[in-house]
Amino acid sequence: MVFQALQKVSRKPQYTILALTTSVVVFAFAVWFPNLPLIMEIMGHPGIPFSQKFDLPISLLGSIATNFTLLSASYTIAIALLFGVNLAMTIYFLRRKVSEVRESGVVTGFIGLVSGVLGMGCAACGSLLLTSGLSLVGASGILAFLPLAGGEFGILGVILLLISIRLIAKQIQNPAVCKN
Amino acid sequence: MEHETKESGANAPTQTNNLTIPAAIVIAGALIAGAVYLGTYKGGGNVAVNYSQPQPVAQQAGNLDQMANITGSDHIRGNPDARVMIVEYSDFECPFCKRFHDTMKQITTEYGDQVAWVYRHFPLDQLHPVKARKEAVAAECANEQGGNDAFWKYTDRFFELTPSNNQTDIDTVLPQIAREIGLDGAKFSSCLTDKKYDDHVESDVQNAVATGGNGTPWSIVVAPNGKKYPLSGAQPYASVKQLIDLALQEK
Repeated sequence: MVFQALQKVSRKPQYTILALTTSVVVFAFAVWFPNLPLIMEIMGHPGIPFSQKFDLPISLLGSIATNFTLLSASYTIAIALLFGVNLAMTIYFLRRKVSEVRESGVVTGFIGLVSGVLGMGCAACGSLLLTSGLSLVGASGILAFLPLAGGEFGILGVILLLISIRLIAKQIQNPAVCKN
Repeated sequence: MEHETKESGANAPTQTNNLTIPAAIVIAGALIAGAVYLGTYKGGGNVAVNYSQPQPVAQQAGNLDQMANITGSDHIRGNPDARVMIVEYSDFECPFCKRFHDTMKQITTEYGDQVAWVYRHFPLDQLHPVKARKEAVAAECANEQGGNDAFWKYTDRFFELTPSNNQTDIDTVLPQIAREIGLDGAKFSSCLTDKKYDDHVESDVQNAVATGGNGTPWSIVVAPNGKKYPLSGAQPYASVKQLIDLALQEK
């Protein structure tokens, strides 16, 4: 069912382009996240020629191999891909206004993204987005009790996005209608 | 009617459902934006770790200008008068620091006198309780006996030998490295237990946090004109090289 729904959506090139673009943006955000201040500094630096401004951000994409564990790199890539697919399917579905349907798939997808973003990376030790948030409420010590030190949220994000894609695929393939 | 939606005639629930998507998007956006803001904004809470020292680390603005001046008491690899200095705040139990250590060795070898590497301590007690801080003290004990050379021999050998992530048997490995690099074992053990370098390590930690460090490795690249660039994480050699080349262009 998911495969058929994907086929249906990907027949329209604009949705494939949307999925790929979204995936690239989410991936780049995840990899660049620890160094956004540096990237902004380079981009805004008047002394750096325009042609050189993009060299560093592009090379920083290579940190998926040096600044991530195998597990965190895997779920970061998975979240980026799944979110792209999820978004394209959601928009396809909403634009076609298949019928009044349950939006559980859409909601699950966004919760999945949020969860994924919170656990995204393990870009360097202790740099998870989640860590920053928890430290504000004095609860960062909780990470010490999590076997994957926050990576659980990334895995949860992947699971929720998969569920969301399945729910949306189901709605695309089988619109909620009653037949006489 | 051939087909009829399940909820036709039930407008109220439909309207409620119609609001679910925008509400979810708004909530998700707010959460992500909030998290990003908190994680990157220099004036926001950049402190990601709790420390086991008695004094809590206050939430403070990360500001690269708060980096402690590089002095003769720092551990410097390479030319102390190099045009570009890279100050690294590092944790001995962090696997990314272990990886980045090799990158930095390559950098200092390739750039020769143009680039120097300054090593400062940033043990993340929350992730690597007890061991990381004790290992930092051990490096200082190596420095006490054998100076800068012994410090770097100790750090090189430590990252070479140990698996990171709290898997180091410090009772065995620390004296072993001390012996290997020719230190006096008794003096080394005594230094490890008498806490005299605790304040030094804590001072490095506080400085890392003050400059905006919230994880390790946390590095600051200082250009010849004093301009500072932040670099978070074990970035690839190519990225570090590009950043150094940009710094070298600063006049």
